Amino acid sequence: MARRLMLALFSALFVLYVAGPVLWLLSSSLQMESEITAVPPNWLPPNPGLHNFIAIFTAGDSAEYANRGIAGFLPSGAANLLPSLYNSLQVGLWVAALNLVFSLTAAYAIAVIDFKGRRATLYTVLATRVIPDIALVVPLFLVIRNLGLINSIGALVVTYLAVTVPFTIFILISYFEGIPRDLYRASRIDGCGHWGALRHVYLPLSLPALVAALMFAFLTSWNEFLFALVLTQNAAAQTLPIIIAGFVMDFTTSFSFVNAAGVIAIVPPVLLAIIFQRYIVSGLTAGAVKG
Amino acid sequence: MAAITLQGVTKRYGNVTAVQALDLAIHEGEFMVLLGPSGCGKTTTLNMIAGLEEISDGTLLFDAKDVTRLPPHQREVAMVFQSYALYPNKTVAENIAFPLKLRRVPKAEIERAVAEVAEQLELTPLLGRRPNQLSGGQRQRVALGRAIVRKPSVFLMDEPLSNLDATLRLSMRSLIKRLHHKLRATFVYVTHDQAEALTLADRIAVMQGGVVQQLDTPEGIYERPANTFVASFLGSPQINLLRQGLLRPEWVAAGRDVIIGLRPEDVARPAEGLVTLSGRVELVSPLGSETQLEVALGSASVTLRVPKDWRVSEGETLAFGVDPARLHVFDAATERRIAP
Repeated sequence: MARRLMLALFSALFVLYVAGPVLWLLSSSLQMESEITAVPPNWLPPNPGLHNFIAIFTAGDSAEYANRGIAGFLPSGAANLLPSLYNSLQVGLWVAALNLVFSLTAAYAIAVIDFKGRRATLYTVLATRVIPDIALVVPLFLVIRNLGLINSIGALVVTYLAVTVPFTIFILISYFEGIPRDLYRASRIDGCGHWGALRHVYLPLSLPALVAALMFAFLTSWNEFLFALVLTQNAAAQTLPIIIAGFVMDFTTSFSFVNAAGVIAIVPPVLLAIIFQRYIVSGLTAGAVKG
Repeated sequence: MAAITLQGVTKRYGNVTAVQALDLAIHEGEFMVLLGPSGCGKTTTLNMIAGLEEISDGTLLFDAKDVTRLPPHQREVAMVFQSYALYPNKTVAENIAFPLKLRRVPKAEIERAVAEVAEQLELTPLLGRRPNQLSGGQRQRVALGRAIVRKPSVFLMDEPLSNLDATLRLSMRSLIKRLHHKLRATFVYVTHDQAEALTLADRIAVMQGGVVQQLDTPEGIYERPANTFVASFLGSPQINLLRQGLLRPEWVAAGRDVIIGLRPEDVARPAEGLVTLSGRVELVSPLGSETQLEVALGSASVTLRVPKDWRVSEGETLAFGVDPARLHVFDAATERRIAP
């Protein structure tokens, strides 16, 4: 009994630790600026309202925001928030999709086809991820500038792929190696070439891993800050993290507004997770071969 | 229909040679069994015929066509795996239909072919199920169905019955034999089970160390084993191999060192024309229809199978007759058969 009680207590503490900041973000985004700076803090919004969200969607018209008499100031970059949300979405989806295309084919080749230098290929790919990003920033900036991609979404897509593809290849290879080799052999005998084996055996049987890879790539590019900061310098290509970070650089900042922006930043990944949650099922290969 | 010819086929993995310059001519419509212990190269040979393993050296012909470098999907062979290898995300019907679908066979025709195969293998009520809802025997029948639906001229089977229990294995064995009679395709069947080899094969290639030790009919292999390895690999209980010292002078051919092979069942009551041996009975194991004995013969022990009416008891001294014509004589140095 005491054991269960302790378990419940620690679970609750853990949940609070993990969910606390998110809950505060949610709560404060529904509060007035004066309310969130109050001492003691209002854990729940005393007068919940969507004014911050309305401000975000009408940020182009800052006069209206001020006229409502809400305390606090609209950050100077507020008007860039919605465009940056769109940029982030674009980058995230492109990276997620292209990452799958490149990683899937590369992982298949390395895991399935027996070619000379296959181990070396894998290690080379993985070795690129040992280098810290900060060491790559300057060279990458020069490369991207010479390609004429500075201040474009393409710069971010290319860069993020270099981050996500090696890791995804690694994950997919270990997943592919868990798929019984006889299924590959059977598919080849039944009439599949390599594309057929990829499509009919490895693709359907690694759906959970593919979904995980998709989420990983999307979240990585959704959250990325360093490269985005260096490679994009105007609102045309800047992503959400850069814009939101910019809010707190103003002399006076409306934290309730920033928090509402934070809530909006959470929504797309959460939606993605909900959509794909049902595909993250294991045990799909059960019954393929004698186990 | 296709004859399969292997000419000097070799498979090397780095420094290890799995199959060594193999020459083998498999006739059209023949049931060829590759028999041997694990690691003897039989599965590697099968995989090379299928195209699943690259051939390091040598030539592989289907009829007169050189297929040495052809990928598996262009060789038009069907294969059944020990692990069944059914697609877990497809139903039984989809599994069987898959090879036809890849060949862009019209839908109506696929349906007809699948129904026909399902009928033949008694799979009709299972067509909508997925592999994980089937028993081992059912799965292997689906795997067979996926192979025969294409009506291929070459069938490759890699220990297809090894994962089944004993009863099921017997019924599947006769099913495979009947399939062969009906389809008259060329079958290449890999097994380490001598009983499967003897019952199914038109000819058996006994392999060891990547080399074919003997290629012959089941009778030939059993009656005239080419060397002591083949002699001891086939037959249950194993053949008795008697070394020098236990031997009668008249058995020893022209002063050569020899090994004498005596099959456990090749004994009789002492009689005219037979050589009589005797020894102390150490163990009596009744098998129902007959009795298995272990008899001390000098410093060695031999296993014998005798009719149950011999009524032998442990500890007694048994005299038994051996027909010299039924003995197998091998050279002690090369272990090859010398006579008869």
